[in-house]
Amino acid sequence: MTRYVARRLLYLVPVWLGISLLAFSLALLAPGDPVRSTLQAQGIDAPSAEQVRELRRELGLDDPGPIRYAKWLAAAVQGDLGYSVRTGEPVLRSLADRFPRTAQLALIAIVLGLALALPLGILAALFRDRAMDHVSRLGALVGASIPSFWLAYLLIILFAVQLRLLPVAGSNTPQHVILPALTLAIGAAASLTRLTRSAMLEELTQEYVRTARSKGLRERSVVVGHALRNALIAIVTVTGIRLAGLLGGAVIVETIFAWPGIGKYVVDSISGRDYPTIQGFVLFAGTLVLLINLAVDLMYVALDPRVRLGGRAGGD
Amino acid sequence: MSRPISGARALAFLLATSIVAAACAPAATGPVASAAPQLADVQEVIVAAEADGYRNDGKRNLLGMFPLNTNVYETLVTLSPTYQVEPGLATKWEFRSPNTYRFTLRQGVKFHDGAPLTTKDVKAVMDRMATAGGGTVGIDEKSAVIVDELNIDITPKRTNLRALQQLVHPSWGIHKADADVNTKPVGTGPFKFTSYTKADRIVVEANGDYWGTKPTLRKITWRFIPDPNTRVLALQAGEVQAVTALPRESAKTVATGELRVATSKVGAYEAIYVNIHGKQPYDLGQDKAVREAIAYAIDKQGVVQNVWQGNAEVLQTMIPPDILGGSRSVVKGTNRDVAKAKKILDDAGWRAGADGIREKGGRKLQLTMVVGYPSPEIHRPMPEFAQAQLKEVGIDLKIVTTPDTAAYEKRLASGAEGDLWVEAGSQNDGNPCFLPDLLFASPVPGGDAESNMYGNAFAPGPKFDAAIKQCRESTSVEDVQKAAAGAMKLLIDDEFVVIPLAGTFRLFGLSNKVLDFVAHPAGVHQRWDSVRLAK
Amino acid sequence: MATRSEILLEHDEQGGERLAHGGRPGAFRALFRHPTALVGLAIVGAMAFVAVAAPVLSPADPTDVDAARRLLPPSADAPLGTDNLGRDIASRIMWGARLSLGTAALATTLILTIGVGLGLVSGYYGGLVDDLVMRVVDVILAFPALILALAIVGVLGPGIGSVMIGVVSVAWADYARVMRGLVLAARERQYVEAARATGTPNARILLRHLLPNVFPPIVVLASLEMGGLILAVSALSFLGLGAQPPTPEWGAMLNDGRAFIAAAPQLMIYPGLAISVVVVGFNLLGDGLRDVLDPHTRR
Repeated sequence: MTRYVARRLLYLVPVWLGISLLAFSLALLAPGDPVRSTLQAQGIDAPSAEQVRELRRELGLDDPGPIRYAKWLAAAVQGDLGYSVRTGEPVLRSLADRFPRTAQLALIAIVLGLALALPLGILAALFRDRAMDHVSRLGALVGASIPSFWLAYLLIILFAVQLRLLPVAGSNTPQHVILPALTLAIGAAASLTRLTRSAMLEELTQEYVRTARSKGLRERSVVVGHALRNALIAIVTVTGIRLAGLLGGAVIVETIFAWPGIGKYVVDSISGRDYPTIQGFVLFAGTLVLLINLAVDLMYVALDPRVRLGGRAGGD
Repeated sequence: MSRPISGARALAFLLATSIVAAACAPAATGPVASAAPQLADVQEVIVAAEADGYRNDGKRNLLGMFPLNTNVYETLVTLSPTYQVEPGLATKWEFRSPNTYRFTLRQGVKFHDGAPLTTKDVKAVMDRMATAGGGTVGIDEKSAVIVDELNIDITPKRTNLRALQQLVHPSWGIHKADADVNTKPVGTGPFKFTSYTKADRIVVEANGDYWGTKPTLRKITWRFIPDPNTRVLALQAGEVQAVTALPRESAKTVATGELRVATSKVGAYEAIYVNIHGKQPYDLGQDKAVREAIAYAIDKQGVVQNVWQGNAEVLQTMIPPDILGGSRSVVKGTNRDVAKAKKILDDAGWRAGADGIREKGGRKLQLTMVVGYPSPEIHRPMPEFAQAQLKEVGIDLKIVTTPDTAAYEKRLASGAEGDLWVEAGSQNDGNPCFLPDLLFASPVPGGDAESNMYGNAFAPGPKFDAAIKQCRESTSVEDVQKAAAGAMKLLIDDEFVVIPLAGTFRLFGLSNKVLDFVAHPAGVHQRWDSVRLAK
Repeated sequence: MATRSEILLEHDEQGGERLAHGGRPGAFRALFRHPTALVGLAIVGAMAFVAVAAPVLSPADPTDVDAARRLLPPSADAPLGTDNLGRDIASRIMWGARLSLGTAALATTLILTIGVGLGLVSGYYGGLVDDLVMRVVDVILAFPALILALAIVGVLGPGIGSVMIGVVSVAWADYARVMRGLVLAARERQYVEAARATGTPNARILLRHLLPNVFPPIVVLASLEMGGLILAVSALSFLGLGAQPPTPEWGAMLNDGRAFIAAAPQLMIYPGLAISVVVVGFNLLGDGLRDVLDPHTRR
C-alpha cells in the first residue's frame, strides 16, 4: 500500500515537469513581442530603443530558452507566476481570486449531476428494457447531444424570463448558481447515467451477485452493498474526469451566466495573448488535474482491494 | 429545484416551451410614466453593464473604469452633450500664454470622506498622471503648479493648447490625494463608492453632501454581464432596470411592453481604417486605388437602414458634427457607386479572375477585416454586409473577429495582421483633433502614452501631422475646427485611409420605471444623478 | 468533449477487450436488425446525404446577402426563414452540415491515425518508446481539453483549420492510451505469440494480426467521437474562434442568432436542433455498433 502510494507520487514528477514545459512553450510558439506587450501594459506605446533594450534585459529575454524555462519554473515553484500583461495584476492572485467561484460551480454541478445520474442509472439497470430504462437512456442520449451554450439560453428563457423562478445571471445569491450548475449538470449527468447503467448491468451479471442472491440476501443489500460498490470504481473515475474538466473553467457557461470564474478570464487572456496568464493557468490547471487523478487512484485503493496487490499499476 | 429535470420528456417539454415562450416573449403593454410621476419608495437601480474592464496599473483611477466612476469622480471642467466645455470642479479658467491654463476651484466642495477639495489634491492627480505617461494632455511632474489655495496652473510639457478640452475626460477625474484609487476611491461626485467585487459588481450610494443637485437615487449597482444577450434577458426578466451597450440588433426586441430604448445624439462612429503600412500579406492597403474602390463599394445608407434598422445615421466623417462647428461640411465623403469602384480597380490593373475575384500580377485581391473594437457584437452584422458588397466589385474579404478591445489592440500592435480594421469609436473629449491625433498621427519615439496608440498602421504622414500640430497650437477654436476638418478631409476624401460608415449613438435598454435618464453622446461621460425611479 | 474519455472508460478493460475479440462475422447484417443502430444510421445517413447534396438541395446560396429580406419567418420561399442579413437559413444549415460533418470526419480520421498508431506501437514494443509516448499522453490528459484546444487556436489564430488542429492535438492522447491497453492484452494471445515464434516481422504482426483484432472498438469509438467533435467544433465556433463569416457553420450561426432569440427564434432554434439531432444520430449509431460487435454486452 505505502509502496503503491510512493510509486504513484514519484510518477507525478516527470508528468508535472512535462506540463510545465508545455505551459512554458506556449509563449515561445506564440506570435507577438512580449517586450512590446509589457510596455503597452505600462502605458508606453511608442517606446525608445533604450526602453526596449532595458526591458529585454529585465525580462531575461536575452537568455537562451532552457535558461528562461529554468528561471520561470524556479519562480513558479515559489508561487511567482509573473504579472498579467492585460490587467497588471499578479497572475497567481488573479487565478486565486477567480478559482474558488469556478470550483464552487463545478462541485455543485457534479453533485447535481450525480444526484440525477445515480438513481436513473441504477433504476435503468434494475428495470432493464422496461419503461424506466427507456426513459433514462433517452434522457441520457438527449442530454449528451445538446450543446451547452444552447441549453443555457433555453433554461434562462424558461426559468428566468418566463417563469421568473430563478435569476438570469450573476453570482451573489445561492439561487444564482442553480441555472449554470444545471446546464453543466445535464451534460455530466448524461454520461454518468450511461456509465452507471452499464457498470451496474456488468456487476449484476457477475458470479458474486448470483451467489449473494442465492444465499437469500435481500435485493437491496445485493444492489447497494455489492453491485453498486463495485460499479463505483468506474463512476468515481468518470466523475474525476468530469470534475477536472469543469475546474478548468466552463468557459461558455460562465460567460453566458456572468459567473466570475476562471473560464472567461482565461479565454480573454488567450485572445489577448496574455502569455504570463496563459502559462500560469496551464500550469495551475495541469497540477490540479494531476492531484485529482491522484485522488481518484487513491479512491480505487479504498474501493478495490485488488489494486493493493499491485494489479493496477499507477498511471497506466 | 425540487423537481429534478429528468429524461427526454422533460427536455422535450423544456425545448418546446422555450421555443413557444421565445416566440411570444413580448408581454402586455405597460403604462408609460406620466408628467408628474409617483416615485418609488426604494430608489435603487441595478444596471447591467459590460464586462469588467478593470486594470490595475498602480497609477490611474481605473476602478469602475468609465463611465461607472464618472459618477464618483469629477473633472475640473466637463463636457456638455453638445461637446462644449463647461465648469466642473473649476468654476472658471484662464489661458495664460504661451501654454498654461489657470483653473479656479469651486468653493465648498467636499470629498466623500468630508475633507475639503484643495489644489493639493488636483496637483496630486496631475503628478500621478505624469508617472503614468502624462496622458493625452502631456502632463509631466512639473506641469501642475499651485498658485494658492484656490488657483492652480497646468502647463503641458509640450505646446498643447487643447489641454482644456482634454481635461474633461474622466481619466482626469479628481480623487483625494491620499486615497487608494485601486481599493477605496474617494471623489467628490454625486455618488460615493460602496463596494467592488471583481468581475461581478460595483455598488455606489448617494452622496448626501454633494455640492450640486443631490441625486434622488439612493443606490446604483452596476453588474458586469459580458454577454450582451444575457444583459437583454436580465432586463426582460426584470432583474435589472437598465442595460448599457444594447446591441443595435436587440433594440427592436427590447422596445416593447414595459421596456424602452434610450438613445443619445451622435457621439460615436463606425468606420473602417485601412492599414497603409502593412507587411505582406497585409500590404494591399498601400494601393490607393484599392482603398478608393472600397469607399465606393460600400452602401452606407444600406448599413444604416437595413443592417442596423435605423439605429444609426449616415455620417461622412468620424467626428460628431457639433464639435466641428462651421467646418462641419468640409469632408464630402463617398456614397455607393459600384460602377465607379469597378472602374477604379480596372484602371489600376486589377482584373477579374475566373472566380470573379480580381488579380494583378498573380496576386489576388484578398483582404482581411479585423472586427472587435470594442467588441465584435457591436458591429454585427455589418462586416458580412460589407463582405457581400466588396465581393460585387471583385474584392474577396476575409473576416477575423477578436473577442474584445484588448485582443484587438494586441493584434494591431503586434504586426498589424489585417488590412481593414473596423472600429466603433467615440469622441470623448472636447478637442476636435482628439481622434485624428490619437489614431492617425505618426508615432514619436518615447512619446506620449495615449497618443499614437496604433503605431503608424494608419498614419498618412507629414502633411497630416502638420494639421495635427496646428490643432495643438492654435488659440482660436475656429482654427482648430478648420484644422481638424482638414485633417479628416485628407484621411477620408484624399487618401481614403478612413472609410466612415455611420454616425452612431449610445443605446440603452431601460425599464419604463427609470425616469429622467439622459444619454450622453460620449459614453464615458454618462451620469446617473438625474435618474429617478417611478413606482 | 469530455464525453470521449468517458465513453472509452465504459469499454476500458473488459469491454474493450471483449469488443476486440468478440467481433463476429455477419455483424454488418446484424446492424440492420438493431433498432437503435438503424435509427442512428438513418439520421447520420440523412445528414451525410444533405451534406454531400447541399449544392443541389439548398434552395438558395447560403452566403447571398439581401438586407431587404431580413428576418423573414418560415415560408414556402424560405422554408426555415431568413437570418439577420436575409440569408436563407435552410440553405445555411445544409451547407453547415457539409462543414460540421466534414470537419468532424477529418478530425476523427486524424485522431484515430495518430492515437491508434502510437497506441499500437507503444503497446507492442513497450520499453522506452512506450514510456515516452505514455508520459506525453499523461501530460496532455492532465489539461482541461477545451482550454488546451483554445490555447492552440489562440496561437494559430482563429479559423476552422486551427480549431481542427487544436481538437486533434488534444484528443489523440486518449486513443493512444486505450489502444495500448488493448494491444497489451492482445499480444499475450496465442496467435501473436505464434506469429512471433515463427519469425513474422513486427510490422506484419502489427498490421495483419493486431490491428484487425482491435478494429471493432475503433469503429465504435469513431462513431461516438464524431458526436463529441461536432459539439466541440460548434462550441469553438460559437466563441468566434472557428468558422469565420460568412461561412455557414452551426455554432457560428447560433452565435449570430443570439440577439434574436425573442424576435426571430428561427435563427437560434434550427442550428441548435441540427447540432443536437446529428449528435444524437452518431451516439445511437455508436451504441448500436457496440451492441452488435460485442454480443456479450447486448442489452
